[in-house]
Amino acid sequence: MRTRVVIAAALLAIAAALVLAARPHEATAEERVDRITTELRCPVCQGLSVKDSPSETARQMRNLVAERVREGKTDAEIEAEFRAAYGDWVLLSPPVASWSGLVWLAPLAVIGAGFILATARVRGGTPARAAEPTAAQVAALRERVARDEAADG
Amino acid sequence: MILSRALRIAIVVAMLGLVVTLALAFRRDPHDIRTGTVGKPAPAFTADRLDGAGRLSLSDYTGKVVVMNFFASWCLPCTQENPALVRVYERYRGSDVVMLGVVYQESRDSALSYVKRMGISWPAITDDDGRVALSYGVFGPPETFFIGPDGVIAGRHIGPIDETTLITGIEALRREATR
Repeated sequence: MRTRVVIAAALLAIAAALVLAARPHEATAEERVDRITTELRCPVCQGLSVKDSPSETARQMRNLVAERVREGKTDAEIEAEFRAAYGDWVLLSPPVASWSGLVWLAPLAVIGAGFILATARVRGGTPARAAEPTAAQVAALRERVARDEAADG
Repeated sequence: MILSRALRIAIVVAMLGLVVTLALAFRRDPHDIRTGTVGKPAPAFTADRLDGAGRLSLSDYTGKVVVMNFFASWCLPCTQENPALVRVYERYRGSDVVMLGVVYQESRDSALSYVKRMGISWPAITDDDGRVALSYGVFGPPETFFIGPDGVIAGRHIGPIDETTLITGIEALRREATR
């Protein structure tokens, strides 16, 4: 009985810890700027985020993001402002609900098509049986084996 | 058998799709990038004039065709396109067409010296914090935007622009305005 109580208490403690750890916490302004600028592509760099780029343009974008955060704009509103100017291209991860979302959907479609194709092949076709050797082929093979055995002594 | 036929058709359709996509992509002018702001109202701004004579707003030019050019003295293609801009400015001087320069990532002093040296007599504004450039989705100078009398961005040219492209863009907007 006592063991059960201890186990139950331990499980409760673990569950409480998990709930506490998983609860959403209010991100600071700095964390939000970091998060948004990590998602934004630096327009004058090769595949660098605004957060990682040392360019002047990226610095100006970071300042603009910080100002919008201070003004109380949401992350979506700030990203929308940059999308309006640069298009979806400015996001390092293109949104699924857009033309650029095809980047995400195309591999899934190809995998799905491949799966359907493979399933149909497995169900529909019977593997071709190997052809039976002719009597002449069997005789030639026996003769060769006998010759090899004779050679080996 | 039916499956392999369907597969063959699918491959042909995919290849046709690829060919059409490539054909359409190669037909596009790489200087005419239609991302973001084209076809939308030009972002409003008010900024300091480079010559120090107060501030200037885009709304000051409502009802006019505006050719907005982002430039910098450190940008070699800007110096290459400048003669075309000067000729077109002289051609439309005093008309319903205005030109507006926007200094891109440069100090006022060096931009002012460049403007004087290159004979740029149309108004120019400073953009120290890059807000104007960012709101127009500028990648780097030179870039030229054609804004119609209705305040909508009708076209954008990335890279050095020539006289023919400038006149064609301006005349298209003037024709549209008189309709």
